[in-house]
Parts: sequence; C-alpha cells; structure tokens
Amino acid sequence: MSDAPDRDLLAAEYVLGTLEGDEAQEAARLLRDDPAFAVAVRAWEARLVPLANTVPPVAPPPDLWDRISAATGAQAGGTDNVVSLALRRRMRVWQASTGVGLAIAASLAAFIVLRPVPAPRVAVLAPLAGGVPVLVATAEPNGALNVRPNGTIAVPSDRDLELWALAAGETRPRSLGVLPAGGRQLVASLSPGTQLLVSLEPRGGSPTGQPTGPVLYGGRLVAVD
Amino acid sequence: MPHDEPSRAAAGGDDTAVLLRRCADGDRAAFRMLYDRWGSRLHGIALRITRQAALAADATQDAFVQIWQQAHRFDPDRGAAEAFLVSLVRYRALDLVRRQSREVPGHEPDEREDESPDALSRLVSTAEGAALHRCLGTLDEERRRLVMLAFVEGQSHSELAQRLKVPLGTVKSSIRRSLLSLRECLAS
Repeated sequence: MSDAPDRDLLAAEYVLGTLEGDEAQEAARLLRDDPAFAVAVRAWEARLVPLANTVPPVAPPPDLWDRISAATGAQAGGTDNVVSLALRRRMRVWQASTGVGLAIAASLAAFIVLRPVPAPRVAVLAPLAGGVPVLVATAEPNGALNVRPNGTIAVPSDRDLELWALAAGETRPRSLGVLPAGGRQLVASLSPGTQLLVSLEPRGGSPTGQPTGPVLYGGRLVAVD
Repeated sequence: MPHDEPSRAAAGGDDTAVLLRRCADGDRAAFRMLYDRWGSRLHGIALRITRQAALAADATQDAFVQIWQQAHRFDPDRGAAEAFLVSLVRYRALDLVRRQSREVPGHEPDEREDESPDALSRLVSTAEGAALHRCLGTLDEERRRLVMLAFVEGQSHSELAQRLKVPLGTVKSSIRRSLLSLRECLAS
C-alpha cells in the first residue's frame, strides 16, 4: 500500500464518513473489488473506533429486539437456519485453513465466486416475518435462474415486485429486475450463499437501484447435492 | 458515571469476540447476549448520526441483522470485535441518513446540540483510546473538531463546510492533513 497513499487516504475518509458523490461510489467499488483497499479500511476502522466511545449509550426502543429477532428468521426453525448454519461453518473452516490475511482470503473468495458450483441450487423464498414459502427459485450451474410462485401472489396494480440478489457478506443487493407475479426465468451469475430477496416497488422497479419499498420475501440459495 | 458502559464493553472485547463466534455457529442465546451488551451503545452511535429516533432504530436493527448474518466474517486476527460492531452501525446510519436527505429534498433534521466539551476525555478509558487522544492532541483545535464532527456525527465534507462556514476545498485538505498526522502519530 506504500505506493498508493491516495488510496489509503480515501480509505480513511471512507471510514470517517465524509465522502460524497463520485468519491463515495469509488470507495464503495474499491471496497468490493480491491482486497488491499479493504485491508486499509479495516486498519482505519481500528484506528478511529475509540472515537465512538465519546458517544453516550442510549437504550433502543423496547420492541427493537423483537424486530431484529423476526428479521433474522428466529421463526423459521427450519430450512434457512439449518442451511445457513452449514454454510457458515463451511466458510469458517475455509477461513481458518487460509489463516493468512484478507488479500488471500479475498482472492479465494473471488475464485469461488467465479466458479459456480456444478450442482443446481434452490432457494425457498418466504415472508421475512415468517410464514409459508411464497416462491421457489432454482439456479442451474449454467446460470439459468427460474423463479416460480408457490400459489398466487397478489400485487397492487400500481406496484411491481422486484427480485434482488444479496451475495454472502455484501450489504447492498443487486437488482435482477422486475418479477412478474407469475414468475420469471432469467440468467444470473449467483455465488453460493447468495440470498434472493423480493421487494415491493413502484411500477417498473426501483428508481434508485436499491430496494425502496418493503422487502417482502427472502431465502438463501443452497446446493441440492 | 453514565459513561462507564463503553469502557466496560471495551474491556470485555474478548467476550464479545466469543459471542460473535457463537453467533457464527447459529447460537441465538449468544446473539441475545450480544444485543444486551451492545444494543445501547450502538443505538447511541446511530442516534448521534441520524438525530432521528425512527431512523436510528432502523440503523440499529439493520446493524444487528448484519451482525447475525456476517458474524462468520469476523476474524479476531484481523481486528477488534468493537471495530467490527461499531463500523456496521455507523455505515448503516450514514447510509440511511444520506439516502433520506437525497430522497426527501429540503428535509432538515433536528438542530444539533453542542458536543459536550469533555467528550474527548472519555477516550482515555482504553489503551487505544489513550493513544488516539494523545495524537488528536497534536492537531490544532479546528482540525480536531473536524475529525470529531465527521466521525461522531457523520457529517460529510459539504455538511462540514456549510456548518463551519469554510470553503469545501479547505475542509477536504484540512481533514486529509489531519488523517495523515494521525496515521503517523499512531504508528509511532
């Protein structure tokens, strides 16, 4: 990183939170694509985090735990929890076995992402607050993604459903386009552990590139060996 | 002593790392303990940045959902648990508050209260905090204030320029120089 002093400063400003516009987008892109930049960001987080100690704690609203609990699928008790646990364990073993820095780990991650696993994967999309599955998605090794409703989905006439892919470890989903209530077939490159989400958007889909309406359904892609 | 909680949390960093490890294994009891230990701290941070109760609650909720989903990404060799948790809630709060200011033109959040003059003194409760405190002390008053306002209140370059009535370019270069000084000082 000694040859990239500007990058290190950009990482510092990203952590500080002062970036806007193009610079903010550039930092977000680098954080996603450049392992060295991610390392610089972690270093600045460690340097500056004591500043957060100057802020007095404030009790969150009493219902917040219930909201968190619901959003993390405490209700599922079934497939998603079990599956994501297995995925996380696999991830942990893999992390432990590399044991040397983010750069190598990240390049391995890229390797894994670029090589789809040679088995179809399935995601069962259910309401995030719990309930029966609403959609089933099947991802073939060749990139074909087939999303089918499990029954009838009612969509208000002035709205559209939009399908999103949230890769493991990412915080911002990628749009896969509008999803007709009758389902859709498309081609998408999806890494293992990706979550598929469906949000309710204005007609034609989100105007911002990120979900603007409520995320109605979600489920994680898992291999069916 | 309203502020002994942060130092206690910081001192219990190892425990937090253990709880994160257990979360990665799907242990919901550990997740609840993590929430009990960190909920108020993270919510305080989110509230200071968003200055709106509903937005702060959303940021804290999202941060904990991410903690649960990403606990497997926490690697104690790569950084402290505290930095992992605090960063998640800060980025989320910044994201929400900036998205709102983009989508709701003219939205003016509540007035900011003046930061407490002894805020910096709370830094010295941990070794890392003491080092940062010493290094912030090498900056002049104005630059120190810029760094604090940016990190703690989530003010962007242009918000800082507007608030302190200084040209945008001056704010940017001033912050960059401060960050370079801090990096050098903290490395020594």
